[in-house]
Amino acid sequence: MSSASYPTVTASKKSIQLDPRTKLLLLLTITTLMFSTSNEGIMNLIKPLLSLVPFILILSERRFQTAAKYLILYAACFALERVALIWASGLFSFVLLAVTSIMTRFAPGIMMGAYLIASTSVSEFIGAMERMHLTEKIVIPLSVIFRFFPTVSEEYQAIRDAMKMRGIRFGGKNPFLMVEYRLVPLIVSVVKIGDELSAAALTRGLGAPGRRTNLCRIGFHVQDLMAALFCVACFALFLLRPQIAFWGGVRG
Amino acid sequence: MIQIDHVTFSYGEETEHTGGVRDIELQIKRGEFAVLCGESGCGKTTITRLINGLIPHYYEGKMSGGVWVNGAEVSKQPLYDTAKIVGSVFQNPRSQFFNVDTTSEITFGCENLGQPAETIRARLERTVRDFRLEKLMDRNIFHLSGGEKQKVACAGVSIMEPEVLVLDEPSSNLDAASISDLRKTLAFWKGQGKTIVVSEHRLYYLRGLADRFIYMKGGKITREYTSEEFKGLSEQARTEMGLRTFALEQLQPPQTPQCTGTELELKQFRFAYPHGSAILHIQDCTIPAGRIVGIIGNNGAGKSTFSRCFCGLEKQCGEVIWNGKRYRPKDRLNTCYMVMQEVNHQLFTETVLDEVLISMEEPDTKQAEEILSRLDLLPFRDRHPMSLSSGQKQRVAIASAIASKRSILFFDEPTSGLDYRHMKEVAAVLRQLSTEGVTVYVITHDLELLLDCCTDIIHFAQGNIAGQYPMDAGGLSRVCAYFMGSGA
Repeated sequence: MSSASYPTVTASKKSIQLDPRTKLLLLLTITTLMFSTSNEGIMNLIKPLLSLVPFILILSERRFQTAAKYLILYAACFALERVALIWASGLFSFVLLAVTSIMTRFAPGIMMGAYLIASTSVSEFIGAMERMHLTEKIVIPLSVIFRFFPTVSEEYQAIRDAMKMRGIRFGGKNPFLMVEYRLVPLIVSVVKIGDELSAAALTRGLGAPGRRTNLCRIGFHVQDLMAALFCVACFALFLLRPQIAFWGGVRG
Repeated sequence: MIQIDHVTFSYGEETEHTGGVRDIELQIKRGEFAVLCGESGCGKTTITRLINGLIPHYYEGKMSGGVWVNGAEVSKQPLYDTAKIVGSVFQNPRSQFFNVDTTSEITFGCENLGQPAETIRARLERTVRDFRLEKLMDRNIFHLSGGEKQKVACAGVSIMEPEVLVLDEPSSNLDAASISDLRKTLAFWKGQGKTIVVSEHRLYYLRGLADRFIYMKGGKITREYTSEEFKGLSEQARTEMGLRTFALEQLQPPQTPQCTGTELELKQFRFAYPHGSAILHIQDCTIPAGRIVGIIGNNGAGKSTFSRCFCGLEKQCGEVIWNGKRYRPKDRLNTCYMVMQEVNHQLFTETVLDEVLISMEEPDTKQAEEILSRLDLLPFRDRHPMSLSSGQKQRVAIASAIASKRSILFFDEPTSGLDYRHMKEVAAVLRQLSTEGVTVYVITHDLELLLDCCTDIIHFAQGNIAGQYPMDAGGLSRVCAYFMGSGA
C-alpha cells in the first residue's frame, strides 16, 4: 500500500461523483455476489460485469496505472481459472484453481473498498452515515478508518526504512522475530498518534451534543440511480437464475 | 481571562517528576501574550492542558484547585464547551488532524459545534484569506509538509474564533521558514486582541510578541519576567536556567578549533520520486568528511532525499568516492547509519541491551555494556526501549549506531523539541563520535546545535547544494543570514 494510492481526496470534476451510500451499495453487491455463487449460467456474465465496476470508477479518477494493473490481474486470473477448470486434473491445476478463484472473488471487493476510501472524504462519509440515521457513537469511530490507513502506511514505510538500515544484521534469522520487529514499533506509534489525535479532536468540540453541521453536498443524482438499478438487476438475475437456466433449457 | 487557582496535578501512574505541577497560582489578563518556559518535564505542557481542559477530562490524574477561563470553570464543564473559548495547537503536526482533506479539516471544529452552514462558509472564506491558504485548499493533508500542516492546524483553530489560544511547543517540528510563518500567525492573533499562551523551548521567534515569560522548574512557577527583564538576562543566567537563546544574533561563534578532515566525492546524485515530488540534482562535487557537518535548508530543499540517497535507502542514486574507494548505494547501506527524527520507528527489541546487541556483527555483551555506559544508559539495560523518555530513546538509537561500527552517521533533526540541556548532551555525543573518527552529518534547523558542534555547513536549496563553508566567523554570519532571512 503506497502513499500514491491516496490521491487528492476531492477529485477533479470529471470523475464519476457517487454518493457514499451508493458506493456502499456497490461494495455490498460486489462482495456478496462474488462470494456466494459458482460460475454457472448467467453468473458467468454478471461476475465479469461486477468486476468491471471498480475498474470504471478508478479509471474515472484518472488513476490509469492502478486501473490497468487491476484489469490485467483480474483478466489473467479469470482466464486461468477457466483453463484450470477444463484441465481439472493433477495437483498443479488444483493449486492454480484455488489461487485464481480466490483472486477473482477477492480482488473486485478489495478494489471497490480501496476506491471507497480513496474517493470519499471523512466529512462526506459522516454526512452519509447521518442521513442513514446511524448514531454518532458508531459513525465517529468508523470515520477514523479513512485516517487510519494512510497513517499506517506512512508509519510502516518509515519502519521498513529503519529496518533496512539495520536489518542486514538480522536478515533471515527468525521470521517470527522479523514480524515482531515490524509490528511492535508500528503499534506503538499508531497508538501514540491515535492518542494525540483524540486529544486534538476533543479540543475542537468533537462529541458536542446537538446536530453536527456538514458542509459537504451529498445526495443522489442520475449516476446514483443508474448504479442502484444495476445492483438491483444483478441481485434479481442472481435470484432468478434457476428460472433463467430453465428457460434456456426449454428453448435449447 | 485565565485564572489558575492553587492547582496541584499529578499524572496517574507515573512518578512525581514527570510533568505534574504543584500549587500553581497564575492569572493571565485579557489580550496578554504569555510564554511558559523551562526544561523538559518542568510542567509547562501540563499548564496548557489545564487551560484547554484536557486535564482532567482526557489525561487522568489527581487534581486539586480550579481553573477558570473567561469566568467558566474549565475543569468542571465538558470539553466541547471549553472548545468554544479555547483553541489549541499541538506539538506534532502529524497527529492533530482528523480529516484527510484540508478543507474539511479547517471547518471540522465549526461543524462539530453545529454552527449554521452559511456562517461556516463565510468564516472559511475569511480564514483562507487571513492565512493565505488558497494553495492549500482541497489538498490531501498526508501530502503536505510539516509547516503546511501546522498552518492548517492554526487555521482550523482560528476559524472557531476562540478568545484564548493555547499552543504547546508549536515550533518543535518546523523549519526556519515555517517558524517565521508561525510567528506571523501569532502576530495576527495578537493583533486581534486574543489571549495567547505558548509553551516553548525555542524562544527567539517570540521576541517582540510575548509580554510575559513564566519560568517553571520541577512543576512550580519559580519566576516571572516581563519581556524587558527577559531580554536583559545575561547569557550565563539563561544557560543556567536551561533556556534556549532569545536572540539569534547574540550567539557567539564556535570556539572549537577548526579541525581538518578528509573529503569525499559525490557523483551522479540525481533523484526523483515516481510522482515527481522531491527532486535532487547535485553537481558532482566534494563535501567534507571526517568531521561534524551541519546540513541546513528549508523543507523540500532536498536534505532528507539527499540523506536517504547517501545512506543507500534509495537504490538507484549516486556514487560516493571516499579514501579512493567507490561506494555504490548497496555498499553505503553497510557503511552509513541514519538516526531518524522519529526514534520510535527504529527501536525493535524488548530490552535496551538487545537493541545494541542486534546491531553488532558478533553479539558481544561486554562491548555492548561499554557502549551503554558511555551514553549513560547502563542503568536502563533491561528496560523496554519504548518505556524510556524520548531523549533516552534517542541515545539508545545512537548506541546501536555506534555498535554497528558504521563509519558515517546521519542524524535527522536530533534536537527537535529538546531543551537547552538535552541539546547540549546531543552535541557532546556528536563531538565524541567525531573524535572517534566517525563522520557525522546532522540535518538540523537548530542554530544553537550548529554553533555548538558543527565544523562545516552544507546549505541545500532547490534540490542542490547551494553553498558549503567552514563554520568560522564568516560561516557563522552566512548561517545567521539564512536563519534570520527566513526566521524572525
